[in-house]
Amino acid sequence: MSSVEIIRFAVRALLANRLRSLLTMLGIIIGIAAVILLTSLGNGAAQYIQGQISGLGANSITVFARSPGETAGSTAGSAARPLTSQDAAALGDPQGAPDVTYVAPVVQTTTTAAAGRNSENATVIGSTAAYFPGSNSVVEVGRAYDQADVDQAKPVAVIGRTVADDVFGVGSVPTGRTILLNGAPFQVIGILKYKGQGGGLSNPDSNVLAPITTVQSTFTGFGNLDQMLIGSQSTDTQAAAQSEVESILDRRHGITNPNDRDYQVISSAQIAQVLNSTLGALSALLAGIAAISLVVGGIGITNIMLVSVTERTREIGIRKALGATPGAILGQFLVEATILSALAGVIGVGIGIAGTLIPLPGGFRAVVVPAAVVAAVVVSIAIGVFFGGYPARRAARLRPIEALRRE
Amino acid sequence: MTTPAVGADPAVLDVRNLSKVYGEGDTAVHALREVDLLVRRGEYVAVIGQSGSGKSTLLNILGCLDAPTSGRYLLDGLDVANLDERQQSVLRNRQIGFVFQSFNLIPRTTAFANVELPMVYAGISRRHRRERTLAALDLVGLAGRADHRPNELSGGQQQRVAVARALVTGPALLLADEPTGNLDSQSTADVLSLFDGLHAAGRTIVLITHDSEVAERADRTVVVTDGRLRDQVGLRS
Repeated sequence: MSSVEIIRFAVRALLANRLRSLLTMLGIIIGIAAVILLTSLGNGAAQYIQGQISGLGANSITVFARSPGETAGSTAGSAARPLTSQDAAALGDPQGAPDVTYVAPVVQTTTTAAAGRNSENATVIGSTAAYFPGSNSVVEVGRAYDQADVDQAKPVAVIGRTVADDVFGVGSVPTGRTILLNGAPFQVIGILKYKGQGGGLSNPDSNVLAPITTVQSTFTGFGNLDQMLIGSQSTDTQAAAQSEVESILDRRHGITNPNDRDYQVISSAQIAQVLNSTLGALSALLAGIAAISLVVGGIGITNIMLVSVTERTREIGIRKALGATPGAILGQFLVEATILSALAGVIGVGIGIAGTLIPLPGGFRAVVVPAAVVAAVVVSIAIGVFFGGYPARRAARLRPIEALRRE
Repeated sequence: MTTPAVGADPAVLDVRNLSKVYGEGDTAVHALREVDLLVRRGEYVAVIGQSGSGKSTLLNILGCLDAPTSGRYLLDGLDVANLDERQQSVLRNRQIGFVFQSFNLIPRTTAFANVELPMVYAGISRRHRRERTLAALDLVGLAGRADHRPNELSGGQQQRVAVARALVTGPALLLADEPTGNLDSQSTADVLSLFDGLHAAGRTIVLITHDSEVAERADRTVVVTDGRLRDQVGLRS
């Protein structure tokens, strides 16, 4: 008996039991589709989180002011001291903090941004030129403000893409035009590249960046800083830079117990670490669910193939009486199981890939992992051979007389 | 009823001292006790007996579906005890055509595919299979039903498909186990006249039945009682 005939018999048997064949495949289809969907979601989430990490700004350290009582274990009774320009200057001193490459003092306030009839709320961030690399803000059109603009307190602004769209019209290029921030005129000198929700806590596309001197003189006054953005040479020196910052600020603020600190330091490495560990847990969870789906699908195949062998015991007996060799019976059942699982694998891949095209809320999308697709198909065929093999061998070993007696 | 002439042609079936025991010790059941049976080419032999007499056991052993406990069985001069499972499959395929009481057609499969099946296992080419399948179906008067599935055929028609399947490979021996047991009188007559025709054409037939009317159509009748065999028309040596 040729292999072509074996395949023909297998196909004919599968077609003769369409419903059962379909139900058998369903388990594998769901399993494979789940594997592809879940790995794609995990991959998409990974890319989204990596985007957020890169949006933080390379090797940046952020210092916030806060009250010392906020941490458990605080022994402080002393009043909190705000972050000042003098603090920023001390941190920028290369003698005291050799690993710090720049210090960008930040003041910020919420204003109304308006031009013509349009107005929109915007966060105005006053800082120095170092803020651009420190916050990973890229100027797409025009230019960033420079040290001269800061020194002279020029009324210039670099606006986020959302601000430009809302105030000047979608897709507009308003460089050179005037934007009114709480009524104060600023000249737009640049537009930031679109970031998406990738910059951390606030939406970076709704920001207006202006020289710190101008923002202080126009809105906040020359008082305290809201935060400081501090750079380090590389990821390797970030920890050293962070401890230098802490020791200088501790000394200046008269703090002896780290629990009493009236400021908080967060590095991009720390945030990346938190995000990465979250991502790792997420990936493990998804992989676990996917593996369970596949095993369930495989058990489904064994189950149905066993049922099929039992249900067709009499048929096997007839075939043996007519001269089917054990090899022919084994071949037919193995080929049946393999065709079922391979076909189910292909359908599952189709459904899985189609599923990744469904748009998701929250700004991230599923990204298909090609290796997962290949693995899913290979695994589904392996499931067919492995889980179908046992029932097939049982069928082949049946004694013809016992098989024929079975009803 | 004539006793066949003894010629040089080897017997199709040559059974000597054959026994079949199920179980062991005190619970052992002797289904067949030292049975001898000789069937010559072209003979039509009926085996009759009560249910439980061992006639089905005999047929299963003759059809190489079951193995005897002791004794010798030559099929067309070949000792089947020396064959492994694969070789027995080939032997069944080449030498034996089965007709069962419950038809035993493969469900959800057309009459054509059912009749074709033994030739597929024999490795006969597709074109030859087609010719011979249609010829066999024509012989049993079902050429027009080739595309029907078993559940679309009456019992008599199903049994005729089974007969076509049994003879399509041109086997040395046709083994029929109560072939009319599930049929009405008209279908019984149809199937039995088919057997008469096959016998007239020179086929060797062994038919098992408990119906003496059916047995009357054979050349010779042997009776099985409690596992022992007895020739109804004169004892054989």
